[in-house]
Amino acid sequence: MRLWDLLYRMKALPAEYFAVFGISPQLALDLPELQRQFYVLSKLHHPDRFARASADEQRYALDFTSLLNDAWRVFRDPVGRAEYLLKLRGYDTADGRTNTVPAELLEEVFELNMALEEARDGDSGAKKQVAEALTHFTALRQGLDVERDHLFAAYDASPADTHLEALRSLLNRRRYIDNLVRDAQQALS
Amino acid sequence: MAYSDKVLDHYNHPRNVGSMDKSDSAVGTGMVGAPECGDVMKLQIKVNPLTGIIDDAKFKTFGCGSAIASSSLATEWLKGKTVDEALAIKNTDIVNELALPPVKIHCSVLAEDAIKAAITDYKVKQGADVAALAQAH
Repeated sequence: MRLWDLLYRMKALPAEYFAVFGISPQLALDLPELQRQFYVLSKLHHPDRFARASADEQRYALDFTSLLNDAWRVFRDPVGRAEYLLKLRGYDTADGRTNTVPAELLEEVFELNMALEEARDGDSGAKKQVAEALTHFTALRQGLDVERDHLFAAYDASPADTHLEALRSLLNRRRYIDNLVRDAQQALS
Repeated sequence: MAYSDKVLDHYNHPRNVGSMDKSDSAVGTGMVGAPECGDVMKLQIKVNPLTGIIDDAKFKTFGCGSAIASSSLATEWLKGKTVDEALAIKNTDIVNELALPPVKIHCSVLAEDAIKAAITDYKVKQGADVAALAQAH
């Protein structure tokens, strides 16, 4: 066995997505720059370039490429990126029980769901209520995204747990709103 | 993913869907949500003030089949129980009864939390009533 093959056999894949891009875990990523990096790495590790290489080299190229594609897919979406970092730091959604969202938001979400149901049944008054709520929740989501970008910058400047906790709570709220906006758009289309 | 027959039965024929007067002092309301999936669940109990037994239970859930089945089953179990007996209902009981797969366990947690929230609301109301009575005298 060639020494080169042996090295490849021992070469470990990056342990997480940030390491795939050779960066430290961070939130406010420059997307165009990351995309350039994605193309560079894609070319470098493209399996076609290893067609005549050893089996180990071929497998590494394939595994790295698939990891790179996953990492890019997750990172290009700010919410996906934040969820990924939170998970990495032990802030999974699953361990937050159910009382992590303000009661008023739940009430609002519940009311709109009722209106959505009535709108689906053909109630025109409910349809109007849904249209108004859609405007309201879309604005709410935009506000959350501005807040999210502030938290991204704050975390990158000083990676404190308090920023991650705030981000966890923000993303929890955002998920309800996301579902609502999607359902409302469907009901109105 | 395939739902168990019991989940399907509760999903297709949910028991006790509806709502009760939130301001009624005998009614406890629990409103909970699961951030993993954006589900919301409202569960209400009506307690007989003389016996302390839950006479009626209603729910309305916006979510997946397992969340609807979990809350439907919970309302069935709540009727006829005392408040303390109701507090003893665990999410694992729901998981076992409905044969929920691991990815749907949070639906049963949601139902347990809704029961607890409804009971807390009821108890707070009773406490508030006592205070109001004491003030009136």
